[in-house]
Formats: sequence, structure tokens, C-alpha cells
Amino acid sequence: MSDYLLGIDVGGTFTDFVAYDKTSKAIDVWKNLTVPDDPTSGILQGISRLEDAAAIRNLRLGTTVATNAILERKGARIAYITTAGFKDIPFLQRGHREFHYDRTWSRAVPLVLRRHCFEIEERILSSGEILKPVSESSVRDVAQRIKELGDIEAIAVVLLFSYVNPVHEFRVRDLLHELLPEIPISISFEVLPKWKEYERASTTIADAYIKPILHRYLGDMETRFHAAGVLGKVALIKSNGGEMTPEAARQQPINLTISGPTGGVIAGRAVARELASDHVVTLDMGGTSTDCSTIINREISFTTDFEISFGLPIQIPMLDIRTIGAGGGSIAWIDKGGMLRVGPASAGALPGPACYGRGGDQATVTDANLILGRIDPSNFLGGAMPLNPAAAEAALAKLAEPLSMSIAQAAMAIVRIVNTNMVGALRTVLVERGLDPRDFALMAFGGAGPLHAAELITEAGIPRAIVPIHPGQFSALGFTLADARVDLERTVDMTSNRFDESRATEILQDLVQRGRAELEAQNYHDDIVVQSTLELRYLGQNYELEVPIDFEEFNAENRARLWQAFHQLHETRFGFKIDKEVIEMTTIKSAVIAITEKPEFMPLAANLRRTQKQNRKVYFADGAHDTPVYARADLRSGETLRGPALIEEAASVTVVAPGQRVAVANSGHLLITQEGSS
Amino acid sequence: MRSTKDMDLVTMNIIESTMLSTCREMGITLMKTSYSTIFNEALDFTCGIASPQGEMLAAAEFCPAQIGGMPLLIKSCLEEIPLSEIEPGDVIVHNDPYRGGLHTPEHTLFCPVYVCDELVAFTVAIGHVAEVGGMVPGGFPSEATEIFHEGIRVPPVKIKKRGADVPEVWKLWLANVRTPRYNYGDMRAMIAGVEQGAIRLAEIIEKYSLATFKQTCADLLDYSEARMRAEIDEIPDGRYDFVDYMDNDGVSDSEIRIEAHCYVDGERIVVDFTGSSPQVAGPINATLGVAWSATYNAILHLTDPSIPKNSGCFRPIKVIAPRGTVVNVDFPAPEVGGNTETHPRIAGAVIGALAQADPSRGMAAEGGTHLNFVFGGQDQKNNEYFACYDIEVVGWGARPFADGNNATDSINGNCRVIPVEVFETRYPWLTEEYSLRQDSGGIGQYRGGLGTSKTWRCLDAEITCTQLTDRHAHQAWGLEGGGPGAPGQTLYQHDDDAPWQTMVEAFNKRSTSKWSNVKITQGERIRLLTPGGGGWGDTGARDPAQITSDVADGFISKGSAIDDFGRQVGDKS
Repeated sequence: MSDYLLGIDVGGTFTDFVAYDKTSKAIDVWKNLTVPDDPTSGILQGISRLEDAAAIRNLRLGTTVATNAILERKGARIAYITTAGFKDIPFLQRGHREFHYDRTWSRAVPLVLRRHCFEIEERILSSGEILKPVSESSVRDVAQRIKELGDIEAIAVVLLFSYVNPVHEFRVRDLLHELLPEIPISISFEVLPKWKEYERASTTIADAYIKPILHRYLGDMETRFHAAGVLGKVALIKSNGGEMTPEAARQQPINLTISGPTGGVIAGRAVARELASDHVVTLDMGGTSTDCSTIINREISFTTDFEISFGLPIQIPMLDIRTIGAGGGSIAWIDKGGMLRVGPASAGALPGPACYGRGGDQATVTDANLILGRIDPSNFLGGAMPLNPAAAEAALAKLAEPLSMSIAQAAMAIVRIVNTNMVGALRTVLVERGLDPRDFALMAFGGAGPLHAAELITEAGIPRAIVPIHPGQFSALGFTLADARVDLERTVDMTSNRFDESRATEILQDLVQRGRAELEAQNYHDDIVVQSTLELRYLGQNYELEVPIDFEEFNAENRARLWQAFHQLHETRFGFKIDKEVIEMTTIKSAVIAITEKPEFMPLAANLRRTQKQNRKVYFADGAHDTPVYARADLRSGETLRGPALIEEAASVTVVAPGQRVAVANSGHLLITQEGSS
Repeated sequence: MRSTKDMDLVTMNIIESTMLSTCREMGITLMKTSYSTIFNEALDFTCGIASPQGEMLAAAEFCPAQIGGMPLLIKSCLEEIPLSEIEPGDVIVHNDPYRGGLHTPEHTLFCPVYVCDELVAFTVAIGHVAEVGGMVPGGFPSEATEIFHEGIRVPPVKIKKRGADVPEVWKLWLANVRTPRYNYGDMRAMIAGVEQGAIRLAEIIEKYSLATFKQTCADLLDYSEARMRAEIDEIPDGRYDFVDYMDNDGVSDSEIRIEAHCYVDGERIVVDFTGSSPQVAGPINATLGVAWSATYNAILHLTDPSIPKNSGCFRPIKVIAPRGTVVNVDFPAPEVGGNTETHPRIAGAVIGALAQADPSRGMAAEGGTHLNFVFGGQDQKNNEYFACYDIEVVGWGARPFADGNNATDSINGNCRVIPVEVFETRYPWLTEEYSLRQDSGGIGQYRGGLGTSKTWRCLDAEITCTQLTDRHAHQAWGLEGGGPGAPGQTLYQHDDDAPWQTMVEAFNKRSTSKWSNVKITQGERIRLLTPGGGGWGDTGARDPAQITSDVADGFISKGSAIDDFGRQVGDKS
């Protein structure tokens, strides 16, 4: 009798499935096309491959519904309520431009209309002291106007300094619930209790903006899952890489902002732990974009600095994933000065690269890889989609001629340039955190990641690459490995000189307690782990370093240790410290995690026979090589192959360059290193 | 100039991208470790890479004024400290406007990069340090009449020598500023940035070989030059003139003329500022570095933004700025506002002139001021002196295809406004409102962007305030029939019942826009109204639906819809 843990990642082109059978410990992966207008029907289509939907004990889903609603401006009509004098904060934003020298740029349009922004009388000071209490009549007036408008579907409430003292936001929420019981409300203290009013407002507005659409989508999904016989526990993957119930997602849908891409990072951590690889930078290269993230000391990295597009910050704690516009579909072009460039424009899934033969006539990275012999036109997606090399050649010829290059040279140039773009992104995620690429392994996945990993490590100065198992469904695999997780944080204003131990302790314990309660409410009772950190900086600085703590009560002894740890960390990250300087504590953070049951990676079966594949002519930086081609399923654990080599599987191809070797780990992950290195 | 046909453009693309990411890495270190809010919240700094000859090879996109200023800056420093005197581990600091600098608060730090014992490049950080001593806290003495009023001048000197701090320089510098703890932190941040960049750049050069790096850099400058020539070639040949004015210089009443004559001849352009006012007594004179920077800034706005930014871009551009004028000031006149206020007026005049050559490339004037409200006092909470440089944002000019952006930093900066919650946590002010100014954008087929309004009430015993702004009288101009943006205003109110007054009315100052050392005490208010941008085209051509929605959203009033656009918009709002 099967007993499945099912991970599903709904992407722009494909919906990926990973089913882990707890009984047999077997992992099965597959994909089918996404139905953009109705993602649930694509999911149900994939689920129907299982003989018995009732055998699904746990289903975890990564969804782009929240992100797409914001990016495509398909959210609700909302009202914004704020402190008198400040209704323009969403429109004022921060005053800077995305680009210099580009007069065509226009400021981000907020998700709320200015005519639907309202002010109420109240004011709290930076100390938390109440300067002016909430004027209930002003709240009633606003409620009346919203009622008269008749089409407001959700409300965002953001009052100044609510992160210090939330009582006014609570009062306004309660009054609105009473006056407008039908309309869902998001208050900033619950969404993001952190300073900087624009960033907090933008996040809270986005939460309200997607609430109604997520409510409908999730309700419909649950009904149809039920009808299809899916009776197990359904959970959604949050931006922090944890799972949550659909009910929790309805309460605070903003937590779904970067749901899908988190899976690759979670799976990456599991693989890093298995391979005893302390520091890993992940590279998830798909058709239109590449996501990068870091795993440091075998732990995932978080950020609160995310912008969904320039000028629209969404600053809830989430996995620190950076996206750049470089993927297999990135288009190569020649600029006015004759320089070859790649991306950020992409051919997407439609028309797609020229070699897809769906009408694309511009050369893309995938076309270049095909011409270089790295992709087998008859074995793309396991042969499900034959490619057209002649179309790729024709598209490349249009670039090769003005560059006075051969077609293969132009293809190599495209690959080098897109690699440089990705190396820039890799370096940014590393160096921003003061990390040295030489301490890292590059974990490459996504359909296109394994094609580029070998050359990327050389360019980026990273000693080795890991191509994990199931690179084409790696995010969905990650979902099967997710825990339930609540991240909470609160801004504070204390320094090493002015420190209120009891207040700090009270805030810390409140965060932990709220996190536990939130998990309890979702029925997670066992194996709860708490991880708390503090954000510290020198008094006067504006950006913090995060120092982990192992206590829930502040005292003189652990505070002294804390300041010491900060000085040390500052020196490591930035190359200097300022002894005796006052240290400021700005944020207390807690992650409360319920550990869930996880799949195990099984050792490879002992393959005795190897399918004989024909060698192919593959171009590398030093010219063409007669290159052996292997089927990934045929590899034996513990064996080492020398580059050049290609290792093919249905959803991807791993390229190993001349002068490199690839070792096959026990459970099938590939480790690429330079020949001669350790 | 090498033909682009002979260049290895792929390697060039790769080395240029790598240099840019190095500059960004330096910038991130600066942002994360510096102390002044103007640095870390407003991002008023730039990081770049220069050749041993002082040519700019690459610069990350932080502050445009500093990018255009970099070529002259490094060259001037190298005239004083020749390459032969520079050693590994040195870091040089400089801020002197009369040695190629932009204005006193702008500090340049750079350190040499060595490969095989050869000095092959410099990594450069230019940043605005909020406190520099002088007659007012915060570095904008708007009533200064000589450079010595503006704070401590630092000629190029080594602040680190062979890897070790030079304590004499640190002591001398920190003794001359009001907030030494902050200045120390800012300086450390810039040093960390350039040192980190130097290590990184050396790695890059070693990887590609020194010979390849040198050839690529030479090619890169030629490439940008070729791109810029091609852009200028598209502008119809001819002479185009434009004149704009600044309100006054803070110590006298007369307006100041900025006159630009652009001569476009094939692939070259000469910008001649002859006819601009003689230099003035007050601190809005521009140094030659500012005149160059502003001209480059304007032309970069009107050409393809994808041209790699380096000294090569500027080769086809010749600037004529007669000495002793407001665009090329002679020692020892004051000049701190030249970099913030006169720069956008110079850049605007060049844009206005070239818009006549090709209206499709035009953009109406933006508010053209950073408001430069600076103040200092005693921080009760942390018991130390504080100083703050607050920047506010303006309406931008309408374009031939879209409205101007609201509330955006002026053309020579790209700063972020300090959030109200950060501002009130750090400084003893209560912000009573922060909003868009209805009807402040110039009218037209495309409307100018709106300026802002901000009102503060003083919560402390005493704060010493100073401002250096402009466009209280001369408005941001429109183009092709578009109207001007609303002028700015700075107002003071003694208490709830008192009238709002200008600084001239309330404190007998000479200028409403440039006033120094006013003591504001508890309960008193300051209101900053920032200028709107100019409009583009005739109002009659504006999309009626846009007018209706502007009224519904309150960007324009019903009155303006009727009076300015000739449209009655219904009562429903």
C-alpha cells in the first residue's frame, strides 16, 4: 500500500511533481504543462497519474498565484487607511530612480488608487508614547465612505510607529470589523512590525491586495482536491521555505510571495548536509530567469529586503533569493556599438528559442547550447520535444555575420556572456554577505543550470559544482523536505548603553510564544525548534548584522558575549571593527519551526550495464572535443568520470568541461571539480 | 581611436561587467558600514575604477553628479601626488573644491591597485559626509562668502600609508568637525570599500592578464566614445541656445544667469557657457568639475542609457566655461551649493537647448534642487552632538510620451528620502504631514511631476537650522507649450496661532531659500514645499480620461481642471 508525500511546483511553463512513497522509500518525478488560467487543473492532471489519490498523505504546493496577481495587477480593489497627514506615503515612496540617465523610466504605480486612501486622527511617537488617541469618529467617517464606494474588497491599515506600539492599529481594526464586517483587513503590525513606513505600507498593501483572490483560489482548490479524492493534509509553501495550511495562507497571503523558488533552496540544504558541504550557493536556471541563494554553515539564508519590482518592497522575512533575467530563453542581440549582449529579454515559453520551432527567430542561450553540441536535439525533455538545429543555426547566423565570427564562435560567445551575467549575480549574493567564493560549492539545477555549472565555477572562482539528483524537479523535491515554519520579528530601539533587559526579554518571549501559537493553530504540536537572532550595528550605521542567540532571557553575562560576537562578525564581514563603539540593537527575530517527517535519499542501485551512447562533438572554450555522452541513470555510485563529458537525463544535461572530473556520490549527486584539485 | 571592428568585444563585455560588479560590491560595503544618513539611507555616494592616468574606467550607478565629476577629480589629485609617490597600501583622501573637487562635503578616497609591482588602476569612492565643520552644522552654509566658511578643506593626502593609518591626518580632520564619531565611521566605511575593491580588481586583472586588461580598458574607452559619437551624430547639426536663472545667491538679491550654447557638429558637441553670470558672493558658484559633470549628465540623459559609463563617453564633448563665472569659480569664493543647486540648472539648460534640436529627445525641467535642509543640536537620548543633512525630492519634467515623475530626487542625485520613522527616531522633530502638492506639476499634454510638502514641529529645546535651496522664484520650465511647475517655498510658524512666514519675514534673512543658523525651539514649525516639474505640450491635447482620473485622485484640483485644462469634472470624487 503506497503512502505518498507529494511536492508540486507550479511554474510558468511546467508543473513539476515529486512523489515520495513512504512505504517503499521510492522517489518518482514527472512534469506536465501548466494551465496558466487554471493552475489547479494542471495539478489535478498530474495527480491523476497516481493510482489512488487517497494514498497522498501530505501534499505540499508551491504556487505563483500571489506573485502573478501582483505582477499582472489582478488583485483586489483596496482601501488604505493611515495616520492623518500621511496618506501619500505609497505614492511618495523613497524618491530614488531605478536607473540614472534614463528619462523613459516611470515610478512604480502603487497597488491602491490615491482616491481610496484615507486618513484618521491619531498619532504615536517614536518612543511609543501616544501623542493623540484614535479619534473613533474619524474611523467611522472613513468606514462610511468605504461603504458608500461599495466596491472595496479589502483594507490595509498602516499607522505610524505601530511597530513600537500597536494599540491604535488594533483599535482601528476592531472598529472596522464592527463597521464593515464583510471586508478583510490587513494591519501593518501583523504583516510587518518593522520601521520605515513606506516599506511597511507597501508590504501591507500587497497583503490586502491579494487577499480576496487567494481566498477564492484556495477555496476552489480545496473543493476540487476533495472531489478528486485528495483527502490528506494539504499545505502551501511560504516565502520562508516553511509550509502552512491554506487557512493560514488566507489570513496572510503575502507569505506566498516567493513560494515556488524556495523549494530548490530547501532541497539544496538537504543535499549540502548529506554531502557534508558547509557552504553552498544555489543556482536555479530556468527558461527566463535564474535564482541564486546561499546556504551557509548548512543553513538557509534569509532577507527582509525584497522588492517584487523596483520601488515595490515586500519586506516580510523570506529566503534570500536573487533573481536575474538570464535563462535558457534569454535572447542574444547586438547593441548599437556592435557589442554582443544577452538578455534580459527572453523568448519565454512562447515562441521560445528558435530551435523550439514555434516561430522564434532570435538566437537564445538554448540555441547556443544546441549548436555547441551540449543538447541532443532528439533527446530534449527525454525526446518528448524534438528540437530544430537548422532554426537555431539560422538565428545564430544573423549574429555571427556582423560579429565576423563562425556560428560556433557566436554560440560560444553567447554562453560566455550569459555566464558572466550569472557570475555577477553569484558574486553579488556572496560578497554582499562578505563571503568568499572559494569557500563555496555551486549547486546547479533547474532545466538549464547543469548545462552551465562547469564553466560557471571556473569563471566565479568557486572550487566545485554539485548537480543534485532530479535537477529538473528540484523545487518540488524541496517541498517534500519542508518544515512548518513561522518567522516573526519586531523593531526595538536599544543600545549597549541604553538596554532595557526586561523589555527585550518580554519582546523575545512574546515572539516565541506567538510563533508557537501560530503553529499550534495549524495543528503542529511536536518537534518544535526555536531559532532567535538579533540585528545589531554600530550606533549610527543603518544596516545590521545578524547575531544568533541561544537564550530567551537577557542578562549582563549574555549581553557582554553578544557585543563581543558583533565586533568579531563586523571584522570578518567588512575587514574592520570599532572597539568600544556603542552597539545598537534594532530588531529581535524568532523562527519557530515544527520539524516534519522527510524522505531519505537512497543509495543508487548497482548498475551493471551501461547503455552505450555515441560520442558527440561538443565545443568548449578551447575548441571542439569528441565528447563521451552518458545516461545519468547508468552512473554507478563512487565512480569518477573525466571531462569532457555530457551526462543526460530527461529534464536536463550536465556538462563537464575538459580538465574537469565528475564524481558520483552515493545517492547520485554529481560533484564536478577541476582535475588536480582536491 | 581603435575601430570597434578590431576589438574583442566579448572579452570587453566580460571585463566591463566584472568591473561594474566590483564597483557595486564596494558600494554595498559603504552603504552597510557608514554612519551618516545621507550616506546609508540616502545613498549619496559613488564607487568607481580609474586608470593610473586618472581616466574613469567604470562606475556603479549610485550618484550621477559624482560619476561625471570623477575624471577631473582623480586627475587633479595625481597632479599633486604623482604616481611615483604612491605605494601599495596607501589610501588617499581629498575634498578640496579648488583641486578638482565638487564641493566641500564630497570626500574622495582612492587606493592604488598593483599587479606584479605595477600600479595598474585606482579604486575610488566619492561620498557626501554630512558634517565638515565650518559656519553651520551639516555643511551647507548658505550665507558663506568665502570657501573658508564652508568647513575643512582637505587637499589630497594619505590617510593610510603602506597599510597603516596616518594618525596625524585623522586627528587633524576629526578635530575640525562637530560629529567626530560619525565622521570616523563614514571614513572607515569608504576606506573599507576601496580596499576591498582593490583586492578584487587585482584578482580580475591577474585572471585575464595585465596586457589583456590594459588593451580592454583602452578599447572600452574607445568603444564608449564611438557610441557617444554615433548618438551625437543623430542630433541635427546647428547652434542651440538656452537660458535659465537661479533665484539668488543667499547674500544678495540678484538673479543669476546660466546660459548654454550647444554647437552640434557631426559627431562632436561643444557646450559653451559664455554669457553666464560672473561668479557671485554667495555659495552657489560651480567649480569647473561641476560644470563638466552637469554637462555630461545632461547629455547622458539624452542619449542611449546603455553606453558604458567611462571617460570615453566624454571625449566628443567639449565644455567651455569661462573662468571667474558662476560655472567656473575662482578661489576663494564659496561654492557648496554649486554641486547641488547650480548643477541641475546647468544640466537643465543643456537639455533645454538640445530639446530644440530634437524635441523627441526633450524633457521639461525638473524641480532642480535637493532642498538641502541641514540642522544640528544636542542628542539627548545618546548624549552627543548630532548633525543631519536632509534631502527632499521634487517633481520631474514631463516627457514627450509621459507625465513627469512625482517626488523624485533632482537630476544630479539619486538619493532616497529618510523615512519619517527613521527621522523621528534619530532627531527631535515631529513630522506632522508629508504629502504630494496638488496642482504643483506644470500643465500640458503631459503633466509635470508633483512636488512635496513636509511639515515638522520642533520637539527639542533648540535645533540650529540652515537651508540652501532654489526655485522659490524661477520655476521649472515647460516645453512645447507646457506650463511651468509650481515654485518651492520654505515657511516658518512660531506657534499654532501664528501666521506662516518666509524666513525673510520671520528672521529678516536676505533670501527665502538660502538662510543660515536659525535657532528653532520647541513648538516652532518648518514647512518645506518642493517645486513641481514643467509640463510638455498643449493642454488641449491631454487625454480627457486622464484629466478626470487626475481629479478623482486629487493630483489636480477641480479648479485646475476647469481653469487650466478647460474641463468640467463632475462632483463625484
